[in-house]
Amino acid sequence: MKLLEKASRIYLLASLLIYLAVGIAFFWIIKFMIYDEVESRLMVEKQDFETYVRTNDTWSNNSYFVENKIEVLPVFGKYKAEVVFTDTLINNRYEESADPFRQLTFYTLIGGAPYRVAIRKSMIESYKLIEAISAAMIAFLGLLLVSTFLFHRVLSGKLWKPFYDSLARIKDFDWTKNKPLETVRSEITEFNELGDVMEKMASKMQHDYRSLREFTENASHEIQTPLALINARVEQFIQSKDLGENHTYWIEEIYHAARRMSRLNQGLLLLAKIENQQFTEQEELDLSELALNKLKDFEDILQHKEIRLDLQSSGSFRKLMSPALADILLTNLINNAIRHNYTGGELRLESGTDYVRVSNTGNPLKSDPERLFERFKKESTGAESLGLGLAIVKQICDNCELRISYQYDAPIHSIKITG
Amino acid sequence: MKILVVEDEKGLAESITDYLSREGFVCEVANTFWQADEKISLYQYDCTIVDLTLPDGNGFDIIQTLKKIASATGIIIISARNTLEDKLKGLEIGSDDYMTKPFHLSELNARVKSLIRRRNFGGNNDMIWKDIRVNLPARKVFIKDIETTLSRKEYDLLLYFLSNIDVALTKESIAEHLWGDNMDSADSLDMVYSHIKNLRRKIVEKGGKDYIQSIYGIGYKFTAP
Repeated sequence: MKLLEKASRIYLLASLLIYLAVGIAFFWIIKFMIYDEVESRLMVEKQDFETYVRTNDTWSNNSYFVENKIEVLPVFGKYKAEVVFTDTLINNRYEESADPFRQLTFYTLIGGAPYRVAIRKSMIESYKLIEAISAAMIAFLGLLLVSTFLFHRVLSGKLWKPFYDSLARIKDFDWTKNKPLETVRSEITEFNELGDVMEKMASKMQHDYRSLREFTENASHEIQTPLALINARVEQFIQSKDLGENHTYWIEEIYHAARRMSRLNQGLLLLAKIENQQFTEQEELDLSELALNKLKDFEDILQHKEIRLDLQSSGSFRKLMSPALADILLTNLINNAIRHNYTGGELRLESGTDYVRVSNTGNPLKSDPERLFERFKKESTGAESLGLGLAIVKQICDNCELRISYQYDAPIHSIKITG
Repeated sequence: MKILVVEDEKGLAESITDYLSREGFVCEVANTFWQADEKISLYQYDCTIVDLTLPDGNGFDIIQTLKKIASATGIIIISARNTLEDKLKGLEIGSDDYMTKPFHLSELNARVKSLIRRRNFGGNNDMIWKDIRVNLPARKVFIKDIETTLSRKEYDLLLYFLSNIDVALTKESIAEHLWGDNMDSADSLDMVYSHIKNLRRKIVEKGGKDYIQSIYGIGYKFTAP
């Protein structure tokens, strides 16, 4: 839910509750005041009545008018001398309706005999007054609610605009580029502060990204150079004529280790570079066609291992991605399918409009298939395998929004890349 | 043939010059950008081997200067940077070849020779050693003037040997020369073995001597028996 909508809803709900409470309270206050007024008038009339009765010692029910209607009834037996106000309905003489009255009931002695006296006052006018006031209240409160609600919406929209503009810019921000983040300035201090903080963070990110990138490149250089030196020295050394069998063994070991380390270094740096998203160049590529071309590089080894090729294509898989990464991805997949294949096996390349699948015959996995794509997960303990190939494939897929899945249907292992 | 090696790592520069001197080249070394800059403005070289990362400058600048003042010089970049961008940039500004560290000296040697051959003869010459003659433009091989048919890889292998006569070559460097460095499985060493076997057989069949000598644990050497 958007902030503005949420705020509007809360505001609407809260003001509705408050206005309702205010309306009800107002209604009760008015009602109380009217009753108070009527009752005090009834009390005055009661005094008048009592004064009249005291001086005349008699009362005749001759009053005709509804207002100030006084009803005097004799009481027989016991009674409780109390003064009570009650609401009552009395039939209208002319209309078929009952009108509300407020009634004061008390007991008094007229001519020595006890009487119950009820003095009434019509509430019609008062009720009409209450209705009118309530209606006006509701109308005004409603109008107030709607207008403040609209005002609030427009105002919030205006106030939050710089925030949303800045948000859009932050969303567009790319730390791999050199362009700094610029947030929108406004009169509101908090937004400006937020903008400052974001800009600072963004420039720090760009800076860190640059230094990381430089570090990976420098590390590569710094490590590869001594390795190149070891390689070169070994190559020079093996030129000497009088090498014993022991010597050649040791040299071979040194040479192997240095080459392995160099490849390991390159593999790890590649992983770091993919992770840091240093392959930003993008092109629309046909992965099926690339894979087919890649197979040509492996012609010799396929022939050597007598691996049968099975090509199935039901469409070309087009994908916008870095050409360098696509090349590495396919090379590693095919390399993997050849390395873990056996002599006389089969390599199948299938492709459709949204997938490429490389399958190969091979021995069942010794380890957990879930961990197949982890770094340094090696199937064979052979020194030739680095255990980085599929980790690199996975990393590329993660970065290029491709899905990767592994399936084993004895004796075929297949790895499927889906767009 | 004069070669300039621009490399800040002194040991590596020394290895390269030692190796290439054995092949009959006259080598000079520049360890810094300014030394290199001075040397290329003073002397003429047939080939320059340039490291891109130098402590006081960028190898690309040296290449650009070289292209301006001595465009006939062949240029080979040796760099630890293996990104595609660097390789493309290197070729764009006029270098002839790009090698990623660590590389094999034998490979560097082969590339220097092929570069000089291309520069000097436009590739239009024969490579002759003992009773082997290779016609480069037609990719034809003659043993004692009898043509012998070699597969593409056998041909590449023979050229690699001919560029490194009397040099011990490791199996790994041969495999890398033939298939590049993405073929790193143990299988590629087996393939080297079978290609060597075939090449040896084809040379001997046509009356040549067995020039390929195996060196236990290391690799092979092409030499007169």
